[in-house]
Amino acid sequence: MNEQEREKWYQYHEAKYGIPVEYLKREYEAELSGQVPMDQPLEIPDKMEVFFKYSLGRQSRFFREIRENKTIYGARCTQCGKVYCPPRDHCSLCYVPTEWLPLEGTGTIKACTVQYFTTSAFIKKVPFICAYIQLDGSDFVMMTNMEVDDVSQIKVGTRVKAYFREERHGAITDFYFRPLE
Amino acid sequence: MRKVGIVGMGTTKFKARWVDKTYYELAFDAAKMAMEDAGIDRTRIDCAVYGIYNDFFQRQYQPDAFVHDYLGLGLKPMVRVNSGGATGGAAMRIGYSEVASGLYDVCLVLGVEKCNDCFNYESGVTTPEVLRAILYTADMTYDNPAGRTAASGFALAVIAHLEKYGNPTEEQMAKVSVKNHLNATKNPIAQSPKVITVEDVLNSRKIVEPFKFYDNCLYSEGSSAVILASEEVARELTDNPVWITGVGASVDYVMPGNRPNLYTFESSRVAAQSAYKMAGVKDPVRELDLAELHDAFSGTEIMAYEDCFFCEEGQGGRLIDEGTVLPDGRIPVNVSGGLIGCGHAVGATGIMQTYEVALHMRGEAGERQVKNARRGLVQSIGGTLCTWTICLVLEGDKS
Repeated sequence: MNEQEREKWYQYHEAKYGIPVEYLKREYEAELSGQVPMDQPLEIPDKMEVFFKYSLGRQSRFFREIRENKTIYGARCTQCGKVYCPPRDHCSLCYVPTEWLPLEGTGTIKACTVQYFTTSAFIKKVPFICAYIQLDGSDFVMMTNMEVDDVSQIKVGTRVKAYFREERHGAITDFYFRPLE
Repeated sequence: MRKVGIVGMGTTKFKARWVDKTYYELAFDAAKMAMEDAGIDRTRIDCAVYGIYNDFFQRQYQPDAFVHDYLGLGLKPMVRVNSGGATGGAAMRIGYSEVASGLYDVCLVLGVEKCNDCFNYESGVTTPEVLRAILYTADMTYDNPAGRTAASGFALAVIAHLEKYGNPTEEQMAKVSVKNHLNATKNPIAQSPKVITVEDVLNSRKIVEPFKFYDNCLYSEGSSAVILASEEVARELTDNPVWITGVGASVDYVMPGNRPNLYTFESSRVAAQSAYKMAGVKDPVRELDLAELHDAFSGTEIMAYEDCFFCEEGQGGRLIDEGTVLPDGRIPVNVSGGLIGCGHAVGATGIMQTYEVALHMRGEAGERQVKNARRGLVQSIGGTLCTWTICLVLEGDKS
């Protein structure tokens, strides 16, 4: 490919995949300028993506309550009394419907760790806390986000409270936990 | 049920990148080796089971169909298995059932994975994007948005175990890493053969508390295959079959809120118990000659000692301190190097572990051969906090 063709190739792939031209140049300049022999492996950029209008089914209210009322709800089994949070429409053990139950938003850390390396989507946040928290009134633990200034202040047994973001989207990330003052 | 034997096997090297092969080309190499080892060609295969974990890795949904085509097995039945890190072990279990049930006489079980075609353009390396692809297997509504990784899930369990029992300590985990990297130096297919010290492990960069870089397995690309046959066909094809005498499997609640605690892997205990019961193993340390355990992380290998009943609950750390699991110990663990030393080509891993144990049964493990090895254990685990476990007991023909 000549310089003009290469430039077109970069523009096309940047537009198609959202990969900045500088990164594409770093990875593909040798290939496109003919430095790689014909029989050597050829690598290509690609991306897999699917759009959704996803239904949250019987968990819908849980996310509306977070978005509209800053309240975390559990779901209580009408037979055994077990409280699920994340909620379930039916108790998985009794096979009977559950009922909605507002929770206080306070809880206890059951296990926690500090993440120093992670996926492309979260790498800019490290180090961050990854924890299982049991909310007061719930018989379940949930994997949660924590936002703390000092990762060393978090350990098993630490009491925590949910804080809601100003801008909420109806997602589990609309709230995060900090140690209870 | 019919007796089932391994009559042929083959594996590619486990490497960071097989840039010169696609996933089905890699699968072809392992299948060809296994058929040559069994002394048969593709026409003798009655059915196939493919262990392939992540469709994103392969950049292809239903990759099994394309493997099947490339291996020239058209019009024969096959099924694809996907059970997270336990995919290879799960494929072995289904392959066993295909033959034991009497439905088929000869079954190809093949695992393949090519993860490192995933690429993070910003950093110019693969791993963060590999991890992003894996994160789609976490619960998408509640867990995925929290940014956890496979490593953080297992780290949480190890920390809970440490809180409860005072081990595994960071030094004990480091010793496991040193052992497995060293064992890998004698395995020609291993990705990460290294002579390192406990200090090297402790000083390597932090990944997720308490795991340092060397406590983690590396993601590998590779393919492994075994050919299973009924006893009658096995006797016809080889004078050195390796029998599968125990198969145990268990799948735990994937949402840890449904579990009684976070510090044991109940699925591993149930799977080991079932496999031992089927094989008639009562005292594993005395009756097993070696074990390939799923050491995705050094700390989880120590938990696996307990889950496979090599010691009492909470005593796992002692086994590495006392050398019980070293190659010359009472129950050598991960002589291949395990996932830490040999590598983790997800769908292929459980089949690579089976290959390793069978190699010892056949007396063909070269300089890492465990002397007079007659019976061995394979443990394959996967999923959030060890959702899946499959255990296999293998026995040589002369035992």
